[in-house]
Amino acid sequence: MPVRSAAMVAAMRQTIFAVAAAGVLLLALSARPPSTAAAGADCDRVCLNGIMDQYLAAMVVHDPSKLPLAKNLKFTEDGVRLELGDGLWATASSIGNYKLYFDEPEAGEAGVYTVVQENGAGVFLYVRLKVVDRKITEIETLVARKQTTSILNTDNLTEVRPIFLETIPAADRPSRAEMVAMVGKYFDGIEQANGDIVPFDKDCVRIENGIQTCPGSPTSPLGALSCGAQLSTKIFTYIQSVSPRRFPIVDRERGLVLAAVRFNHPATQQTVDVPGRGKMTMGKYSQWPNSTQIAELFKIKDRKIKEITAVIVAQPYKMPTGWE
Amino acid sequence: MRNKILFVVTVAGFFFAAMFVPAAPLQASPSAAQGAASSPCDRSCLNGFVDQYIDALVAHDPSRLAVTKFVKYTENGQHIELGDGFWRTATGRGGYKFYVDDPEAGQVGFEGTMQEAGHPVIVALRLKIENQKISEIETIVARGGMAEGGAANLDKLGKPRAGFEDEIPAAERVPRLDLIKTANKYFSGMQKDDGKGDYSFFGDDCNRLENGMQTTNNMTPMGGTTSNGTPRPAPSAKYDPSTNPTSYSAGWSCRDQFRSGLLHFVSLIRDRRYPIVDQEHGIVWAFGFFDHQAGDTRNFETPDGRSVTAGPTTPFTWEIAEIFKVRHGQLHEIEAALTQGSYGMCSGWSSYEQCRSDQPQW
Repeated sequence: MPVRSAAMVAAMRQTIFAVAAAGVLLLALSARPPSTAAAGADCDRVCLNGIMDQYLAAMVVHDPSKLPLAKNLKFTEDGVRLELGDGLWATASSIGNYKLYFDEPEAGEAGVYTVVQENGAGVFLYVRLKVVDRKITEIETLVARKQTTSILNTDNLTEVRPIFLETIPAADRPSRAEMVAMVGKYFDGIEQANGDIVPFDKDCVRIENGIQTCPGSPTSPLGALSCGAQLSTKIFTYIQSVSPRRFPIVDRERGLVLAAVRFNHPATQQTVDVPGRGKMTMGKYSQWPNSTQIAELFKIKDRKIKEITAVIVAQPYKMPTGWE
Repeated sequence: MRNKILFVVTVAGFFFAAMFVPAAPLQASPSAAQGAASSPCDRSCLNGFVDQYIDALVAHDPSRLAVTKFVKYTENGQHIELGDGFWRTATGRGGYKFYVDDPEAGQVGFEGTMQEAGHPVIVALRLKIENQKISEIETIVARGGMAEGGAANLDKLGKPRAGFEDEIPAAERVPRLDLIKTANKYFSGMQKDDGKGDYSFFGDDCNRLENGMQTTNNMTPMGGTTSNGTPRPAPSAKYDPSTNPTSYSAGWSCRDQFRSGLLHFVSLIRDRRYPIVDQEHGIVWAFGFFDHQAGDTRNFETPDGRSVTAGPTTPFTWEIAEIFKVRHGQLHEIEAALTQGSYGMCSGWSSYEQCRSDQPQW
């Protein structure tokens, strides 16, 4: 079939960056049903992380039969339901040292971010496992590859940033619903182009696919703006909506919330007026409709969003995530 | 600043395949034309619906269309609201129009060029008409560098190649299922191509355009790199095993590309649908997905016994609309519009099991 030049590929990978109109928000702040919470209660954090390690080990030897799988297992990669053994399972060769775990033992939910080698290239992997009776019933994965994302640097992902490992004192832990609501404000802030409504810590750092995207670089077009100030420039208004939104893992002990969301980019605008800077032209690829599916992890401490890290995969416009 | 990405179309090299998969048992075609039954829509009626559709699309106004109550719209495999997606971004018609009519089935296919925010795109459109209303709308919009260059090529052509336009004399016309079976040999031959199949289903004059790019019998250097990042070799005019080729050439014929066994990395061609057949012109319009698993299927043996590693290094899928000219049981013209989808994705028009299967649907 078609042959594509490197230039074409590079062009196709270009980033979008800015457009559109503020969206309406919505959001179902999902309060987890109590019944679900009981499901995995017999598998604590160590147990969950152990099953996750088994998962990764089985994946690199391409052998799902090594895993404790429930009969009704569901597996998705980048929102597509596949047979376990397909996708990254057929190509992965080794796991890097970077492993960021997050768990919700009450719900039997385990998550990890890690770097995997695939035919000689690093990819950034998010895995969510649901464990019931010590068997895996759900596997949700996103794989950020150079070919499916324009920003990716796995070389930066060698060690987990210490803040993600800090434990929140029991007395200071917000409820699950409160944590989810704080993160929901972040997505509302994107839709409304308003950083003021988001409970950001003033020094909040965001790293996407291994690349720090806020505070910005002093040499970037917008300069070294904070995460909140960036939102208020309207530069993200190309993200018309952040929908659907799920919050499958809330790790209260560590102050972590994993949001699984889809950003929708209808590409109905090519420029945006940035206050104080005038009209800015957005990237070439705001010219066609597309979506991104994102697994985004938030560190909440002192009731502020201190740090954000995300795995981002580009997809056809409004492609279902497979879990709604 | 936050960069977000776009759905990317990547590349890779080529995709094909050919371990000869035995053809599935063919059942009798259920009336190809369940949709047409109640209120016939002839060729000019069908083409008229396409023209109305494109006009409404460019005007961003789906209310101009006569649609059924439960009309279904998909764009690049996603079921979205009519009026969303390309309906909000299309800005103009292009110069290339290729209609494929199937009055019996009440369906029409259209491949053409259009403009989106000032950029050329290639569109593959399928409409199903029931009682003079549109009940199904399936679109593939191919965008980005390759499609832009290919759209320019198609615009230069201005109309479908003569081979497509030739009518089949009435005495030579064959049942629609026979036409489909011939087209399906292309997918079966490409999937895990091993070079050892019977490729007599290709006519000697077979030629193929993919997103407007001629990818057979084309000696024009394409430049750029292969999926492995190595410079793309200059095209060679003829498949010659003695030169130990490790990737197929756009300079080769349709048949020689398959004979080389170098399309093996197309690991699965699935969800094969054949909704539109034009018996008068011997044309079959297919939809399908070309999977490239990028695992063991990258390592294979050529028919002359050489071990080769080739093909995309990451799993990915082409979503494709492919049009075949069939005459005397052979393929003479092939033309496709394709876009990269998420690996393993489905079309929205078949069951999950059909989506995963390489068995033809008819």
